[in-house]
Amino acid sequence: MEGRFPNRILPYALLFPSIAIVVAFLIVPSLQALRLAFFEVSPFTGRGLFVGLSNFRVLMESDIYRHSLEITLLIAGGIVLAGMTASLAVAVLASQPLRGLGVYRVAILWPYALSPAVAGTIWALLFDPSTGPATLLIRALTGLSPNWMMNGTYAVWVVVIAAAWKMLGFNVVFFLAGLQAVPGELREAAQVDGAGAARVFWRITFPILSPITFFLFVMNSLYAFFELFGLIDVMTQGGPGGATDILIYRLYQDAFISARWGMGSAQSILLFVMVGILTALQFRFAGRRVFYG
Amino acid sequence: MNTRMASWFARAAKVLAVTLGVAAAVGLGAAPAAAQQPVKITLWHAMGGARYDAITKDIAAGFNKANPSYVVEPLYSGSYAEAVTKAIAAIRAGNPPHIVQVFEVGTQTMLDSGAIIPVTEIVKPGEINFGDYIEPILNYYRVGGRLYSMPFNSSTAIIYYNKEAFQKAGLDPNTPPATFKDVEEMGRKIVASGSARAAITFGWPSWMLEQSHALANRLYADHDNGRNGRATQVLFNEPFGVEVLARWKRWADEKLLAYGGREYAPNKAFLSGEVAMLMQSTSQVTTIEKAARFPVGTGFLPRVEGQPAGKSVIGGASFWVLKGAGRSPKELDAIVKFFKFVAEPEETAKWHEETGYFPATKTAVGLLTKRGWFAKHPNHETAFKQMQQGIDSPATRGVLLGNFVQIRNITDTAIEKALSGKLPPKEALDEAAAEANKLLAEYGRITK
Repeated sequence: MEGRFPNRILPYALLFPSIAIVVAFLIVPSLQALRLAFFEVSPFTGRGLFVGLSNFRVLMESDIYRHSLEITLLIAGGIVLAGMTASLAVAVLASQPLRGLGVYRVAILWPYALSPAVAGTIWALLFDPSTGPATLLIRALTGLSPNWMMNGTYAVWVVVIAAAWKMLGFNVVFFLAGLQAVPGELREAAQVDGAGAARVFWRITFPILSPITFFLFVMNSLYAFFELFGLIDVMTQGGPGGATDILIYRLYQDAFISARWGMGSAQSILLFVMVGILTALQFRFAGRRVFYG
Repeated sequence: MNTRMASWFARAAKVLAVTLGVAAAVGLGAAPAAAQQPVKITLWHAMGGARYDAITKDIAAGFNKANPSYVVEPLYSGSYAEAVTKAIAAIRAGNPPHIVQVFEVGTQTMLDSGAIIPVTEIVKPGEINFGDYIEPILNYYRVGGRLYSMPFNSSTAIIYYNKEAFQKAGLDPNTPPATFKDVEEMGRKIVASGSARAAITFGWPSWMLEQSHALANRLYADHDNGRNGRATQVLFNEPFGVEVLARWKRWADEKLLAYGGREYAPNKAFLSGEVAMLMQSTSQVTTIEKAARFPVGTGFLPRVEGQPAGKSVIGGASFWVLKGAGRSPKELDAIVKFFKFVAEPEETAKWHEETGYFPATKTAVGLLTKRGWFAKHPNHETAFKQMQQGIDSPATRGVLLGNFVQIRNITDTAIEKALSGKLPPKEALDEAAAEANKLLAEYGRITK
């Protein structure tokens, strides 16, 4: 049966509110950003000085910006890899018949409901270089006293852990749903054929999970590129020594703290293009391996 | 009814009251004969934590109570840096607050905004005795001989130390280090004795670099620190700045320095007893004294030895009056009345007691002395004494830079790079200076 609207205007009228919102809050600002990217803007009057591609050239030539890009890729890679591996492991555990499973599942989902500011504060307190329980534990176990306010590598680790932890609940929910969709008879058949648990997982469960894994891969990448701002602001402010100065944080600093709107806009355009390319690549290469059953 | 319910009801009642109040106000506004309405002025501030109550309850509410014909509405607008950005956005949108509290770093930005009214333009002679203000504070906010903003919360940096840790290390608990060399010698003893895990930490790293320059009477930027024409180049990568950072790096290598982050985060390391000394803003005196479980001592900020004498530099913030679409004489009058209130010795003294910021006027200092406040709270006097010594020169009046907020960030990054061993101090500062100079050039282009 083919559903039809009784008149022609109604569908547009119904669509209008969402279109209006998208245009007002997404399309128009994006176009403005695109325009501003070619200007140096006075913070007070908003008067712009047309500079052509100069903002982009400055960014391309800037070591700081290049470093920021590298750091972003590193952190995004860490979040996707560590976060998704951990999530899958947790999901497999949480899909076992356990007592009190409901409680575990809620507990796992919890971090996702926290705001980035709260999550950041929790991890910053845990790893506080002088009073943090995690620091004290590491000190007791290894005798080392890692200070992530001073050691960039350690800071990257802490940020990746915090960010992956924050995303854990989201990932686990999808993996759990995926795991429940794996037909039991397939696994049983494999077991009858003498396949071990690992083989069953890699040959049956994982391929069936691939659409979900791919979806989460894209979502986690987007998260790492666009949504880490709050966590970084609360935990490291891009420090120490620029070690966690990811692109989105650099953009915030330039645009909203220094009121260099032209430079900030140019960065947002570059970020948009980069993530667009990245997502296209993901679809092109990883997307092909996805098995939709 | 239990207490939680009670408080819920109280809150609900308050919300209702406010809603009705607003409705009533709107109703009144519509009435033609609403002549006796109080003049409302908005104040955007950046005082969080314990200082939030001090500014909203004591100062704003106190003023409103004493002056029924005026209403000052305080609004917390985030960190200092955020408050400046928000004020700029409001200026562009054409609806700025009457008064905004801007930290010293935003001074050049405010001067160039074209959106301010110099405080001396609206305060009639004799209304507020600016001569009563402590000279270094005036010197910071005075540019080209003119006072542009109303001094409010001024601070400087001092050293806090743990007397217990000093004693345990065999040091005199009443002698803080005066120089970098003292820090090193005392620090080694402290760490060797195990009375603390590390000797020293500090907040606001680039401010500490600025302080070190001023204490040695060295310029931080050209054109007399931007006070004699706009600064076009920073000078912190000259040999003196490099020496300061190299010393800090040596402290870090010797495990004397435990760097703890950019603003107030390092306070925790000091308060927990992990680190024996802390270089920090005087705005933390009250908080630190309250929170410490050991006797706290304070002293003048340690200086690099063998350098000419300078003076520590002023930090904190001041009140700027914004033009907006035009201010009525009544509004300007309200602003001046509010400033007068803030400048009253009683208010200035109370603000000092609650926070540790300078009692900004000589009268307030006299009042506090008479009350025996300093005798009872010697740590509150340290900054004041420190400010009275040394010399007044362009190098000690504080730096004025366009884009200073971001330049501070760049310098912080450089300091962290050097401390973590990513770059040698000289290279780190050279890199930061090149970046800062680019920003200064850009700032010059867009604000002519």
